[in-house]
Amino acid sequence: MSDTQWPVFEVFHQQARGEPHVHVGSVHASDAEVALLMAKEQFGRRQACVNFWVVPADAITATAYDDVDIFEHGTDKSYREAYGYETTRRVRAQTTKRPRSLRPPEE
Amino acid sequence: MVQNRVPQNDRPGDPGYAECLSAFEARVARGDKVEPGDWMPGAYRQQLIRLIHVHANSEICGALPEGGWIPHAPSLKRKLALVAKVQDEVGHAQLLYRAAETLGKSREEMIDELITGKAKYSNVFHYHAETWADVATIAWLIDAGAIVNQRMMAEGSYGPYARALKRICYEEAFHLTHGYDMCITLATGSKLQHDMLQDAVNRWWKPIMMFHGPSDGVSTHTDQLMRWRIKLKTNDEQRQEFLKQYVPKVHELGLTLPDPNLRFDEEADAWRYTEPDWDEFMNVIRGNGPASALRLRARRMAHEDGAWVRRALEAAARGNRATVNQNDE
Amino acid sequence: MALTQYDSAEHIKGDARAALIDLLYRLGDDDLVIGHRHTEWTGLAPILEADIAFSSIAQDQIGQAQAYYTLLHELGEPDPDSLVFDRDCRAFRCASLCVFEKRTWAFSTVRHYLYDACKELKLAALIESTYTPLAKLTRKLRGEQKYHVMHGRMWISRLGNATEESHGLMQSAVDALFPHALGLFEQTEHSEKTAAFGLGPDEATLCDAWRETVTGTLTESGLQPPLDAEPIYGGRRGEHIGAMTELLDAMRKVHKLDPTAKW
Repeated sequence: MSDTQWPVFEVFHQQARGEPHVHVGSVHASDAEVALLMAKEQFGRRQACVNFWVVPADAITATAYDDVDIFEHGTDKSYREAYGYETTRRVRAQTTKRPRSLRPPEE
Repeated sequence: MVQNRVPQNDRPGDPGYAECLSAFEARVARGDKVEPGDWMPGAYRQQLIRLIHVHANSEICGALPEGGWIPHAPSLKRKLALVAKVQDEVGHAQLLYRAAETLGKSREEMIDELITGKAKYSNVFHYHAETWADVATIAWLIDAGAIVNQRMMAEGSYGPYARALKRICYEEAFHLTHGYDMCITLATGSKLQHDMLQDAVNRWWKPIMMFHGPSDGVSTHTDQLMRWRIKLKTNDEQRQEFLKQYVPKVHELGLTLPDPNLRFDEEADAWRYTEPDWDEFMNVIRGNGPASALRLRARRMAHEDGAWVRRALEAAARGNRATVNQNDE
Repeated sequence: MALTQYDSAEHIKGDARAALIDLLYRLGDDDLVIGHRHTEWTGLAPILEADIAFSSIAQDQIGQAQAYYTLLHELGEPDPDSLVFDRDCRAFRCASLCVFEKRTWAFSTVRHYLYDACKELKLAALIESTYTPLAKLTRKLRGEQKYHVMHGRMWISRLGNATEESHGLMQSAVDALFPHALGLFEQTEHSEKTAAFGLGPDEATLCDAWRETVTGTLTESGLQPPLDAEPIYGGRRGEHIGAMTELLDAMRKVHKLDPTAKW
């Protein structure tokens, strides 16, 4: 550790129970406990907060922006989505085809 | 680590530079943000480092003239607000140095360059804050100028800088209101208070008119900065925006501004003013302003006095790791 | 015999009222003065992150002082700003520990820890105060106080025996400050009654608890508390060290330009 400014920790902040932890920035700190105590004031002195995480920056492995095309879909993946199905239309079509006697009694 | 790779082929003439550049410029033109791992022209990286570094330095040096008045704040409310404001400035420096670090320059290097006088900071912090009314004027009008600049920069192309600026702008809104509130109190207070404020405004007007930097004719950086969306408005455009918003407010408080040529030109929809002396501006930011030496000395002392603390915590952390390793065995 | 509960300022009279006022001045003045000294680091601390955190602690302390002064105002004392800007130096009841200028980071962090370890124990007792407004206020302050202690302990434990240099500086700060920290527990003409009426903790009991706590933290961090040190008293009687007049002069520099103006 030749840097006199100490290593970097990435800071994640949770606003309320039930909410996800969100990355809010980083602090330079000599160890994780110091990082937490410092992060609390740099990133929590105004915002509501119930929890902080700190992670050594060099513990994070990231994808490369150059590889952003791996997130593209080569074929139609709408079968993974609710909008990929036409249930309402199909049920309506079915009920209008049915003989009257099979429909639910009308009021 | 989410870190940039070693920059490669990022100078004109390097293999593949032209292709990379056109893809880069297309991305910027689309309004996409540039992120740390991306290919970027070397000049883009250097310009941004320079700009963010100066901005960070300005925050940490800006903490000094106001910080010196914390012990003298004349009410509990003012004292708390001023401490919180100076704290925010330190916080902004922290965010900005970090944003610049993502471009490959360490905070240590940047701080070293600041305290050895190699790196610049905003012209306005090279002047003394002589009275409490200076604190009010800085908090209102200089922060107002800074907001004009930072709101624009927050829309810029570099992701980490834009993110830091969003948070900074949010906090600057408190600074501005706090400064305006102090100025209203002085302007509407006793004669002594009003005169003190007028005096401060008179002294600060010249540096404030220089705050957004040399006029478009003089500035050397603007074209490229605008093309790469590092900057979205020229210095003169920012100055006009500031004048349009704040000159009427200054007049509204019954204050005058010490420029006989200052008037609104309806036809051109612009303020006319005496062109600032840009040689003086250059001289000041090179470290020859009235308070330049004092500011550097304060920063250098803070850095040197804290050296043993930074060393000790580093040693303590090594000690902790040693203990953990022993337990592992 | 059950202690009387005092629900508000109108309900507390005589000796109990005098004891309460004395207690609130001690609490408020300690916080104001140490908070003022802590702010001397804002913008100048050893590293940016530490600067921000310590500045928050300074703000908390001044904010707490303001809260105690507000309680005093409800009891018929002058308003908080007048208490800060118009009161005679000898009317301040802060312990000398709080008065020294910031000096080194070692000096300031040791003082911060010694002070906040005491303040935390005080708040733990004040939560039971028979003066309801004080008990209520105390409940609101305990969270930030807990952070102060975590923060103070962190600096003691990191700097205590990290390097020879840091150990030396921290030990000298402990030696210099310990007698003044013991002065936090100085008895006043009212302090016995403060405890008897259940308004606040007994100073001697508090001091014993504090000694035990700080001895633990300091020794774990490789530092020797000078346990046989003679306490330095005077602050609680308004007899202050020289730095107090300098502090008040600085604090009033702007205000006194026009003491009747609103600033």
